[in-house]
Amino acid sequence: MRSKNNIIGDIDWVLVLIYMILVSFGLSNIYSSVFDPDHPLLFDLDKEYGKQVMWIGISIFLGFSALLVDGSFIKKNAYWIYGATVLLLVLVLLTKPINGARSWFGFGSFGIQPSEFAKVGISLALAKFISEMGVNVSEFKSKLKIAAILGLPCALVLLQPDAGTFIVFVSFVLVLYREGLSGNVILFGIIAIIVAVITLLVADSSFFFPFTKIKMTGKFGIFIFISLMAGLFSILVKNYVVPRNRKQLYRAIIGGFIVSIVFVNFVEVGYSSILQKHQKERIDLLLGKIVDPNGKGYNINRSKAAIGSAGFFGVGYKESKLANAHQNHVPMHSTDFIFCTWSEERGFLGSSILILIYLTLLIKIISIAERQRSKFTRIYGYSVAGIFFFHVMINIGMAIGLAPVIGIPLPFFSYGGSSMMSFSILLFILIKLDAERKIVLK
Amino acid sequence: MNNFDNRKFVIGFLFILIGVVFIFRLAYMQLIDDQWKDRAAQISENKIITYPARGIVYDRNRKLLIKNQVFYDLLVIPRKVKEIDSFALSNLLGIDIEDYTERMLDAKAYSTRKASIFEKQISPADYEKIGSELYKFPGFIEQERTLRAYPSHVGAHLLGYMNEVNDKDIDKDSYYKSGDYIGRSGIEKQYEQILRGQRGVKYILQDAIGRYTGSYEDGDYDTTAIPGKNIQLGIDLDLQTYGEKLMKNKRGSIVAIEPSTGEILCMISAPSFDPNLLVGRDLGKNYLKLSKDSLKPLLNRAAISSYPPGSTFKLLMSLIALEEGVITERSSFPCTKSLVGCHNHPTALNISDAIKMSCNPYFYYLVKRIIHQGKSSNPFEDAAIGLDILKNHTASFGIGSNLETDIIGMQKGIVPGRVYYDKWYGKNRWMFSTIYSISIGQGEVLVNPIEMANIAAIMANKGYYYHPHFIKSINNNAIPVIFKTKNHTDIKPKHYEKVVEGMARVVNEPGGTARRARMDSVVVCGKTGTAQNPHGEDHSIFIAFAPQDNPQIAISVYIENAGFGGTWAAPIASLMIEQYLNKTISAKSERKEQRILDANLLYVE
Repeated sequence: MRSKNNIIGDIDWVLVLIYMILVSFGLSNIYSSVFDPDHPLLFDLDKEYGKQVMWIGISIFLGFSALLVDGSFIKKNAYWIYGATVLLLVLVLLTKPINGARSWFGFGSFGIQPSEFAKVGISLALAKFISEMGVNVSEFKSKLKIAAILGLPCALVLLQPDAGTFIVFVSFVLVLYREGLSGNVILFGIIAIIVAVITLLVADSSFFFPFTKIKMTGKFGIFIFISLMAGLFSILVKNYVVPRNRKQLYRAIIGGFIVSIVFVNFVEVGYSSILQKHQKERIDLLLGKIVDPNGKGYNINRSKAAIGSAGFFGVGYKESKLANAHQNHVPMHSTDFIFCTWSEERGFLGSSILILIYLTLLIKIISIAERQRSKFTRIYGYSVAGIFFFHVMINIGMAIGLAPVIGIPLPFFSYGGSSMMSFSILLFILIKLDAERKIVLK
Repeated sequence: MNNFDNRKFVIGFLFILIGVVFIFRLAYMQLIDDQWKDRAAQISENKIITYPARGIVYDRNRKLLIKNQVFYDLLVIPRKVKEIDSFALSNLLGIDIEDYTERMLDAKAYSTRKASIFEKQISPADYEKIGSELYKFPGFIEQERTLRAYPSHVGAHLLGYMNEVNDKDIDKDSYYKSGDYIGRSGIEKQYEQILRGQRGVKYILQDAIGRYTGSYEDGDYDTTAIPGKNIQLGIDLDLQTYGEKLMKNKRGSIVAIEPSTGEILCMISAPSFDPNLLVGRDLGKNYLKLSKDSLKPLLNRAAISSYPPGSTFKLLMSLIALEEGVITERSSFPCTKSLVGCHNHPTALNISDAIKMSCNPYFYYLVKRIIHQGKSSNPFEDAAIGLDILKNHTASFGIGSNLETDIIGMQKGIVPGRVYYDKWYGKNRWMFSTIYSISIGQGEVLVNPIEMANIAAIMANKGYYYHPHFIKSINNNAIPVIFKTKNHTDIKPKHYEKVVEGMARVVNEPGGTARRARMDSVVVCGKTGTAQNPHGEDHSIFIAFAPQDNPQIAISVYIENAGFGGTWAAPIASLMIEQYLNKTISAKSERKEQRILDANLLYVE
């Protein structure tokens, strides 16, 4: 039934090559970013590049180990892996907080972040559940169970708290969409985001009602707008819809009206009263409501300056004037803002090439997922694509000022052992499952 | 499979869409929008100005007049300030707690990470006590800066002071940048260009807290600072110090000149103040206090005043009369007190007698002969011609016209001419009888103390002078040629003999008006003056030079509202001469000295 030679032969070497390119680019970039003339050796374990070399070594070891494990073994134990990662998420809550969050298991000068590994667990569990016979994503009961699989780790990372990882977990919506979640849900989500942004923009402001001297809050203005829209739709329905369909549409309008009012209120109250001050500031900064390049907007201003000053070819390798340890203008330049070092030194050319490499990786993963006969592998592949996509989108988007400042790593670039290992494992499990595509029937 | 296969295109499209958006965004930021380049330069580059050391100022014996001294600025990095005793720090600095809070807010508004100045220019004396306590206040650091110091504490008026440039200075000379210091008066102002040197610029890269991390473009755009040149003045520090001591509790001025060079040996304006008051963080406070003082110590009386010369003017009148040939050395005039007041003295039989006894009627007749020479049949026109002759002669003594000096703010004297009186009385409406008071140095004649000292120098040189000046050498190099050029008066040297003889007799013969200026060791030649003025008691005036042969010092002394010239100005001049020539005061002169030191001649209106 299986032959080892055959499996090795079916490994997608292109994907492995992309992985190797990203890892080596990432390492060279960290070397430049935190270069210390007193520790010039790449393998110096006192510096982040030395440690990263170690993490890469461990990650490649783990990745190739994954190739030796049987695909069916992974599939069979998907829930156990999920369970183990969730258990780690529970245990991490019992540790002492570091920088206000319980996200780390510390071992001396090293730390392990279980939320990174949870991505692997969730991906496997989700793939296993949906690929089981008879599960239909559009069924309410299935939806509830999927929500439970996703909801448990989501709740646990929010307790840490770690908003960044939570947002990455949202990427699983892509998988659900691929597997049949109604497009309306996505559309509804997008509309909700637009409404939320508008609400946030006007939440703190007030205005005079046109032609009067009545002063009202922005939220109330939105309520009036929603009411007007509801009225308008009602008139349209009354005049242009055949009577037998009217009742259903009226119900939809009334339902939509109530949901909108509640949602706007929820966003406004959440923003004004529940969010902490620094979270509120991050949203305000992104929306351009506050401009404070030396205070609250310090990070993003420095990040944009580093990237924006690079020109076409960049300032050159290890010539960075802002985003490195020597100059230290861009904070967290080896982790969350690692893209700044790359972009400042390699310019528009290098930045575009990196984005194209990530795009190639994502498209490659989708095409791998799509060629599977096994539903499990396809769902797992989409999970991996979604996770990588969200990381790249939010990390780079943040660095260039298109996304709020959320601290999540750029795959294979940001310094950090947990993320390096979990991204590698995610990818190599996919490579392994893909290598077995010809001998798996389901 | 299932019905949702086409959704792979939606997802793929989403990935590509985000990638394209990012690339467009990057293209805009990196290729089109220049603001981030400027912003990056603003963040990561800095221009460090290296200030050259300002030139040192020495006296004629290479004693220090002005030096540079390290002061301390107190800087604060607000981020690092944690739980300090702000009351203790405000006390230490001598500021209010409200002031402390305000400065802290300003510093935070500037930057929380970068250091900004909290308290400027703390003097080394104050810093001794602050520096040792500084460890209790994390976030506060010291920074050295160089300011001026006047180690001998004298010469405030002549040396001047410095303060921060204002917008006008920056407009006038683009060399200056906000925060620079500039000489405001005296030597500091006059020789600003020479003393300041040329500042250097270093373009550097800096990190997030403003620390130096490397040079920009390998220092290709950097320039090094060129230090200011040291200068030496003709001032004798000991003489200046001694003069200021004598002038305590008096109002007036002393100017001494070396006749053979025109170098100013001392320039004292009383009351004076310690020039160090106008350095450091209390400059503003001290300046305000000095400017509000009713005795007006900020005024440089030696430079800006002009006084009636009184009887000292008789020296010039004698010379002019001799030159014009309207009298001879042996001419005699009766002491007719009905014409103009005089004291009781024997009749002056010749010009030398007249000077010795300062006979007012003698000079009434003498000046009348200068004014009315019979050059026109119209007596009014005749007076006008005569007055212009007199004025032209005085101009050759450097009065009221052409002294070229390096003294800031020097006010020229006035010898009125035809134009002046025509305007005052009308053309052909005046003659000698109208303006006779100029013959005794009263009325409309005004002479500046420096011009006065220059007259003494001309007497010493018997007919020529160098423009009085401070500068002796610049960096051991030559000084402007104008200060090296002899200027002759239009009086023949022979006419000086008898006049100078009279000056010697003023001091050394019984019946002379300045017996108090007499010294055993040296023959002093002088002339007293007593100037009536509308402000109260007469001004006491004395000009002199010494020794009679080979003169080394010429001096003018003005004591405002102190009375007769021989009583106060003459003994002060003699003490100054003794100090300069002998470098010490003899036991015999000590009584004279004590009398001066004890005298309080401040006239209170």
